[in-house]
Amino acid sequence: MNPYVLMILLSSLGLGTTLTFASSHWLLAWMGLEINTLAITPLMAQHHHPRAVEATTKYFLTQATAAAMILFASTTNAWMTGEWSITDLSDPLANTMFMTALALKIGLAPMHFWMPEVLQGLDLLTGLILSTWQKLAPFALIIQTAQNIDPLLLTLLGVTSTLVGGWGGLNQTQLRKILAYSSIAHMGWMIIVIQYAPQLTLLALGTYIIMTSAAFLTLKMSLTTKVSTLATTWSKSPILTATTALVLLSLGGLPPLTGFMPKWLILQELTKQDLPIIATTMALAALISLYFYLRLCYAMTLTISPNTTNSTTPWRTQTTQASMPLALFTMATLGLLPMTPAILTLTT
Amino acid sequence: MTPVHFSFSSAFILGLMGLAFHRTHLLSALLCLEGMMLSLFIALALWALQFESTGFSTAPMLLLAFSACEASTGLALLVATARTHGTDRLQNLNLLQC
Repeated sequence: MNPYVLMILLSSLGLGTTLTFASSHWLLAWMGLEINTLAITPLMAQHHHPRAVEATTKYFLTQATAAAMILFASTTNAWMTGEWSITDLSDPLANTMFMTALALKIGLAPMHFWMPEVLQGLDLLTGLILSTWQKLAPFALIIQTAQNIDPLLLTLLGVTSTLVGGWGGLNQTQLRKILAYSSIAHMGWMIIVIQYAPQLTLLALGTYIIMTSAAFLTLKMSLTTKVSTLATTWSKSPILTATTALVLLSLGGLPPLTGFMPKWLILQELTKQDLPIIATTMALAALISLYFYLRLCYAMTLTISPNTTNSTTPWRTQTTQASMPLALFTMATLGLLPMTPAILTLTT
Repeated sequence: MTPVHFSFSSAFILGLMGLAFHRTHLLSALLCLEGMMLSLFIALALWALQFESTGFSTAPMLLLAFSACEASTGLALLVATARTHGTDRLQNLNLLQC
């Protein structure tokens, strides 16, 4: 792609999210969301390939529908109450409609079907933008309105998302679909706690962005999109294979790694709010997710692929890709857990 | 609920229903989206009249500009889909399912 066009698209992507962050009026927030969708569409369709075009079409249709529903919910609220500011979304019908539209936008469980298919059709860097940067603007809106939304709806969305995110990833062999289901499960964790402790939602979103960036950049570095290719990465770069397994376990939420921090704090908050059944369900749903991360680790580190590698030792040659972001995100993914007290002090 | 409110709400919901349940052609999906945006345009334009707010008269224009951009993106995707898949039927968009 032409670098000038790419620069315009990337800066519009930034502009859309910033506009939604900065707005207090629903129309401006909607315009930010629309700019985001319109700016990422050419990025997704830049390789003129049937799968990329299909993914772009599906993404465009869902995002345009969700944005129109968000604006309709706020217009209904304005006709009922005369208020356009984001924090004053008080009409119950408008609230429910807004939450449904936002669940469609970020891919929460009953409205998640577009997410794996879209992510499957994209290349890894656009998939990284889709699963990190594109989540920020919707979360800025939901953090501001969450106090008015029906708690039952939020709990249902959160629990079904974690369950479906675990269940859907079980039989997949495509890594991008697995990462999409992992995204659905993590979104469920963020939504379940949003009414009790919004700062924990932000913490979970931050750690999720760090972890999923590390995962996508690792896959980009080793050029893998399938489990079978992942099984031969040990011959390409042994150290990257070792950290890949740890990054995946961190996404699954195992204790000495960063991914444990949001799960731990969210479960503690749910227990404090006297919701032991929901906390137990969430913890058990995390186990289903952990199964497919463990399966990836098993295929990658504990088995030797039956095919022989014919190439000449690729780990000797210098890579041409930039490895500094990968190193930074991997370090943050593996070692942020001791920072938990500092992060808690800073956020609460 | 005033009659105006009822009419644009039902127009929007009819568009949404068409988008969700009438899944044959991509072009009809884009038309339903455009219908939803136009009902929102009516809603915003009449809100300014109903509440007699003078500062709000640019909002329908902004909405119309953005929905035009959205419609043109949709049409570009329609052309791209027709070139890669050979048709604009939505049932042919099945390469990514598994």
